[in-house]
Amino acid sequence: MSSIGKAGKTGLIFFPAFDWAISPTHPEREERLLYTRDQIFEEGLMDLPAIEEYKPRLAEKKDVARAHFCVPDVESQVTEAHLIAAGSTLTLADALEKGEIRNGFALVRPPGHHSMRVVHGNRGFCNINNMAIMVEYLRTKYGHKRIAVIDTDVHHGDGTQEIFWHDQDVLCLSFHQDGHTLYPGSGFVNEMGGPQALARTLNVPLPPGTTDEGIHYVLDNLILPVLDDFKPDLILNSAGQDNHYTDPLANMRFSANGYARLNEKLAPDLCVLEGGYAVETALPYVNTGIIQAMAGLDYSHVKEPDYVPGRFVQTEGMKREIEHTVAQVQKIWDQRDELVAQALDGAGDFYRRKKRVFYDTDMINENQEEVVRLCPDCAGYMTILTSAQRGYGILNSAFCVSIPRGACSSCRDDAKEEYAEHVDDKRIGYVLMQDKDKDKFKLYNNMIRTERGY
Amino acid sequence: MLIGIDVGGTTTDAVVVDGNKVVKTAYVPTNHDNLLKCLLAALDELVQGIDTRKIERVVLSTTLITNMIAEGKTDPVALVLIPGPGTNPKDYALGKSIILDGAIDFRGKEIDRLKESQIKEAASQIRTQGLSRVAVVGKFCQRNHAHELKVGEILAAALPGGKIELGHKVSGQLNFPRRAATTMLTAATKDRYELFAKDVAAALKERKISSPVYILKADGGTLPLDKSLQMPVETIFSGPAASIMGVLALTKAGRTSVVVDIGGTTTDLALILSGKPLLSAKGARVGSLLTHVRAFAVKSVAIGGDSAVAVSCHALTVGPHRNGPPLCMGGKGPTPTDALRVLGLSQIGDAAKAEEAMQIVAEGLGCTAKEAAQKVVDAVVDKIVFEVNEMFREWTEEPAYRIWEIMKKEMLSAQSVVGVGGGAPLLVPLVAARLKAAAIVPGYASVANAIGAAVARPTLTLNLHIDTEKGEFSVAEEGLTGRVTDQKMTPEDAGRLARRLLAERAARLGIGEYASEAEVTYSEFFNMIRGWSTVGRLMDVRMEIPAGLLPSWGGC
Repeated sequence: MSSIGKAGKTGLIFFPAFDWAISPTHPEREERLLYTRDQIFEEGLMDLPAIEEYKPRLAEKKDVARAHFCVPDVESQVTEAHLIAAGSTLTLADALEKGEIRNGFALVRPPGHHSMRVVHGNRGFCNINNMAIMVEYLRTKYGHKRIAVIDTDVHHGDGTQEIFWHDQDVLCLSFHQDGHTLYPGSGFVNEMGGPQALARTLNVPLPPGTTDEGIHYVLDNLILPVLDDFKPDLILNSAGQDNHYTDPLANMRFSANGYARLNEKLAPDLCVLEGGYAVETALPYVNTGIIQAMAGLDYSHVKEPDYVPGRFVQTEGMKREIEHTVAQVQKIWDQRDELVAQALDGAGDFYRRKKRVFYDTDMINENQEEVVRLCPDCAGYMTILTSAQRGYGILNSAFCVSIPRGACSSCRDDAKEEYAEHVDDKRIGYVLMQDKDKDKFKLYNNMIRTERGY
Repeated sequence: MLIGIDVGGTTTDAVVVDGNKVVKTAYVPTNHDNLLKCLLAALDELVQGIDTRKIERVVLSTTLITNMIAEGKTDPVALVLIPGPGTNPKDYALGKSIILDGAIDFRGKEIDRLKESQIKEAASQIRTQGLSRVAVVGKFCQRNHAHELKVGEILAAALPGGKIELGHKVSGQLNFPRRAATTMLTAATKDRYELFAKDVAAALKERKISSPVYILKADGGTLPLDKSLQMPVETIFSGPAASIMGVLALTKAGRTSVVVDIGGTTTDLALILSGKPLLSAKGARVGSLLTHVRAFAVKSVAIGGDSAVAVSCHALTVGPHRNGPPLCMGGKGPTPTDALRVLGLSQIGDAAKAEEAMQIVAEGLGCTAKEAAQKVVDAVVDKIVFEVNEMFREWTEEPAYRIWEIMKKEMLSAQSVVGVGGGAPLLVPLVAARLKAAAIVPGYASVANAIGAAVARPTLTLNLHIDTEKGEFSVAEEGLTGRVTDQKMTPEDAGRLARRLLAERAARLGIGEYASEAEVTYSEFFNMIRGWSTVGRLMDVRMEIPAGLLPSWGGC
């Protein structure tokens, strides 16, 4: 018998949602984790003393409302599958905080990292952002101050980035295949966060064909040093698996061994599965490797059938490009305090931006106008005016108000006033209030004049 | 008439059942050095004055395999693994093994070839070690038997007289290390089990009992003795299974009950959920090995009537060890049995000695002997209640992989606490009161195990895996494979195929008449999409004849 106590265990939730799909032939379908199930069950990983399997639970609507403005309400935007995937991350968060486990991996679907703060529908296979829901839960329930989210999916984690755009205490670092060549077309070096939180969003676009060598260069020379500086309470990994060399939707050349080594070095406290669609050729091996690496087991025996070490070699050009990008991002990080000071200097009382968001899965076009108070005493309240149209169908509009944790009384009063002013405003469908400070959430339906809360 | 004999840890219990009546019972102390002898002693006592020609069936439950493994009396086995990519085999606590190259993947595709020279090298290594029994197990070989068959063939040729067990014949479920352990245990117990079975058959013949003889398995089902030779490990833990089947027989159907079997040093706990005994989720733990043996989930708690009671620093402990019999029965130290005697809850043993025992405890705790006795009994009840609640909690927290499984899981709590075994009548009412359930100590509680064996019906499981893209099906339980020609096979077709295969398997095992009782307990169907089109279907169907009672036993 092993001497590993429970506190030394790796918590695992496997929720393959074998009865949920976006559509029968969609990459995000029932079959996605079938072979992964076969592999990890056949390996007997759940029986090993280093691993403790947990049962998923449903997230509460309030857990969703803490991270998102769902329009018109949470119920309309989530299915049970979404609540279970999100709830799984919370179960592991609790187990970690209670000291039952040393680290944990929520191997769940559907994924979440393309879901933004406002949710009108599904974009990039995601409805709600499991990672962001877990981050907000960890902060509210356990009082964590600084959290680092490292997004290792091949696609830019644009949803997570957008949710924490103005947040100084959450570092969002995403490396991904260059947005010129892949969905969602964002994640460039110059996307660095809102004026108060500049350089707390970092993006590392990588050329198509980047190998284990390239990604580990980014890890060793950028991610690990940045984490050393930032000193987060927790390191979380949005663990997509589509950097793999066989993924059908992307063009990178990462291997299962590369993924395992990445998790060993990064040593995340919690991992949440995002994308990855090479259901037979990558996922069974990548997941096995990640679990082993997190549990401190030997992963050197994990190997894709067609992989030989040295199979993929980076060109000199690619190498130079990666080194150049890393140097640029490193510079942004080094200048983070100056960048914030410059941005706030003479910026006035409010920061405003207009955005358009396209929901590819559901064909929704959204227009947003976001306003954040640049408050000297707190993070400042935020309002978002949003309207979205599904195809040529109905137009949904909402006015959203968010009160930050530790809000000053002036921001709190102004935010409440904004909410009150938009109640019964016939031009807007719904008014939503997210009070993160008091952990209270409510919404008013202007058409039927009723208010309810979570 | 039906005969049930349970060779238990301390006593061997036997009953004759006629219809739904217990006609006769017999007990003899169990002699661990000669299980056959005590089995026959109980039988001889039982059939005195009974017309043996009227015996329709004899069912045995025996600790033979359990004891063999616990005492390390199994035969040595060479373990040959074909692990392929994945976990380092050293991370499995399987002991020494020979590792071969070669690999099969989850779809049953060969992804790495065997090396013949390496297999021959393994054979000479086994020969040098002087071993003749070999277990050959490959990862995913239940989905493609080719590697295990080839290795088995080469080893058989190189090791004349060697006995080779192949993993896919023993179990076909996912979980390579459990399959390896189960195969290894099968190889290690098969010969001795066969000797025992032959002796039993001969002894019955001598006594002119010509009825069919069955053995009770860990999942509460019976299997003809001669057919059980292929799967000796299935008979492990048949004692607790017999008790649980006995409780099913002696209580009202459909209830949610806790079965409490309080012995001298251990208390066995089991759950019956809405009338169905709970099975351990993935298979039984045998010593330090996790196996694929289907077994009722039984939790052994190290507390019982003879547990040593001690006080240190004003803190009371009961168990886990035993320092001999209770003081009131001639032992040396205080035990829960002494406490029950002092409280007037039992009349066993010497009252003055019991008082003396509790006085020892009382001094340590600074209270009266009676208060001390109450504290000891409370401690025992607390421990049992805690463990029962844990069992319910563990059951509700068993992982689930589908939305409906998570949404529909009901919350169950005990309606009744059923006591079997010697210590039950005294403590069960106290446990039941704490769990807010009815206390039931059935008549014949002391021979519930033998009754359970007598009236249990056969069980059978069949796991069918179909891959229509490859045009193949495989049956987990016996390494059977076949072709499917219909690419568009439906779930209904798969169900029909499973039913036919189960009927055939039941017939081979001599329990064909129960095949119609089989029900589908699990199924999954996946369309395989490559690009944007469906290229095939993966289907899994599990069909079972669940644990149950013979129809002739009309209930209590």
